[in-house]
Amino acid sequence: MTDATASRIRPVVKKSVDWWRWAGRVFLTFLLLFTVLPMAWMILTSVKSQFAAMQYPPQWWPAEPTLNSYFKLLNPNERIGQDFLRYFWNSFYVSLLTTILGVVVAVPAAYAFSRFRFPGRNFMFFAVLVRNMFPAVVFLMPLFLLMRWMGLVNTHGSLILTYLTFGLPLSIWLLKGFYDNIPIQLEQAARIDGATRLQAFLLIVMPLSTPGIIATSIFSFIGAWNEYVYAYTFLSRDDQMTLPVGIQRFFTEFATDWPGLMAATFLMSVPVVVMFLVLQKYFVRALTEGAVKH
Amino acid sequence: MATGQAAGPPITRAARKKPNIVSRIIKHRADYLYVLPALIVMLVVIAFPIYYTIELSFFRTPPNLQMKDKIWTGLSNYSTVLNSSVFHEVTIQTIIWTLASTVFSFLLGLGAALSLHREFVGRGVLRALLLIPYVISAVAASYVWKWLYHSDFGVIGAISVALGFTDEPINFLDNRQTVLASLIVVNIWKEFSFAMVMLMAGLQTVPDQLHRAAMVDGANTWDRFWHVTFPHLKGVSMVTILLLMVANFNSFIIPFVMTGGGPADASHIWITHIYQLAFGRQQWGVASAYAVILFVVMMTLGYFYVKALTRGDENRAGG
Repeated sequence: MTDATASRIRPVVKKSVDWWRWAGRVFLTFLLLFTVLPMAWMILTSVKSQFAAMQYPPQWWPAEPTLNSYFKLLNPNERIGQDFLRYFWNSFYVSLLTTILGVVVAVPAAYAFSRFRFPGRNFMFFAVLVRNMFPAVVFLMPLFLLMRWMGLVNTHGSLILTYLTFGLPLSIWLLKGFYDNIPIQLEQAARIDGATRLQAFLLIVMPLSTPGIIATSIFSFIGAWNEYVYAYTFLSRDDQMTLPVGIQRFFTEFATDWPGLMAATFLMSVPVVVMFLVLQKYFVRALTEGAVKH
Repeated sequence: MATGQAAGPPITRAARKKPNIVSRIIKHRADYLYVLPALIVMLVVIAFPIYYTIELSFFRTPPNLQMKDKIWTGLSNYSTVLNSSVFHEVTIQTIIWTLASTVFSFLLGLGAALSLHREFVGRGVLRALLLIPYVISAVAASYVWKWLYHSDFGVIGAISVALGFTDEPINFLDNRQTVLASLIVVNIWKEFSFAMVMLMAGLQTVPDQLHRAAMVDGANTWDRFWHVTFPHLKGVSMVTILLLMVANFNSFIIPFVMTGGGPADASHIWITHIYQLAFGRQQWGVASAYAVILFVVMMTLGYFYVKALTRGDENRAGG
């Protein structure tokens, strides 16, 4: 509709608009190739035999495509398959628990930051946000000691606890943004009608903040699924490893199996990419929330 | 904040506020219950480690981390860090890494956001495709690019030979001259779409009428970008650049997985170097001192970050 109005006016400056438009198209094409070609090469490599992958000059297109690498990785009767599926399950389990616990802890905190004006609120909020700034490595040494002291080294508990904390600032920040947008009058009306604060929260605020909860959940899940540094440091037992760390083992053990590694990389990316594609709207909203006032 | 705010009311304000702080806390005690779970988790996993890192930085701790055997060394860990030549080299690499990644990611993201701003068929699909590298794990990205850069069978080397740029495949990752740039490309591949999404959201806040008005006045595309779009993007750009800088300063996975900081430290940045000092060489004290220095740098950036982010919030809360 706005485009229609715009196009009626456009002829005035037609020439220069077209030039910029073409520049935009060329640029987007270049960017698309830059983005997609590496992923395409990953997939093409994953369906080659090891022999076909290790050639110079390379086979641009797989001459005899094979799904062998995938069968190997997903076959629970082979050792590689067993390991891979276990890592996959570990990653899923850790990410899911992190996500659920994250929502349970972040929702009340975000609600309080949005609704209440208690002393120390600003300081706490500042502290919560500043955590975003610190690299994992700064916390790695003391956390490793802490986990050792709590007996959590080599357990998934250490990962869940760590991911939970490091996800919280963002979750709280996102959810607070959503709560800020829900008019407080809605709750007040419910309170006047005799609802308790908890009831008003559960029946009025929660349903309205579902998009916020979905958005934060995707973020926590993807963050936990992709996390590498802590998993690499805290876990040393094979059966506990998550995918990003476990995959490294394939690399060192079968140093030359590039098709296998590319297949594993592909399978590792599938869940998060699918999740992202399905819930894209929320993901983008979460990414930009706070930086842009809607 | 209160002191700089007004000349008139401070006396009454301070007089009213101070005696009340305890009673205000008591009055609001139920509010804290909501924040408590988050607070406890954060205290255990964040406040304690910060304290611990600072403490460790003043001691020499044995490799096995037996805390009772640690020896007080004052500031010697700090001087060890600041005087080492590797530190200077790594600092320069960190600056190059952070600035190059940030600038190029931002520019690519800006170009993409402007090109994608217009409605056209396939726009949503395009945006989704461009975002995939940002979503997948950096470990996955590192392996894919490690394979692309492979010195014998890497496709990039093969292409450059096929097109006649070089006579034989380039050894991207095993060469001090090319390694850092090669890793920066991977990093840009991974994160430019973050800038794109942020700036696309920013573009939506530019009022359409302004563009139309400018068009009626005969402004060309460049003028409209420079005088209409760009001023509106300033706030978002600031936050985006800041976030990119923080993320790049903190990146670990790409250099660690792809090269481990080599060859001969040429692709180390602060974070990977600290990791190597701590978990590779068990120099806990030196690594902690290093981490504290990094900490201070991050606090400075963090200050601006929070300031940029909470600007709107303060206005809404009304001070």
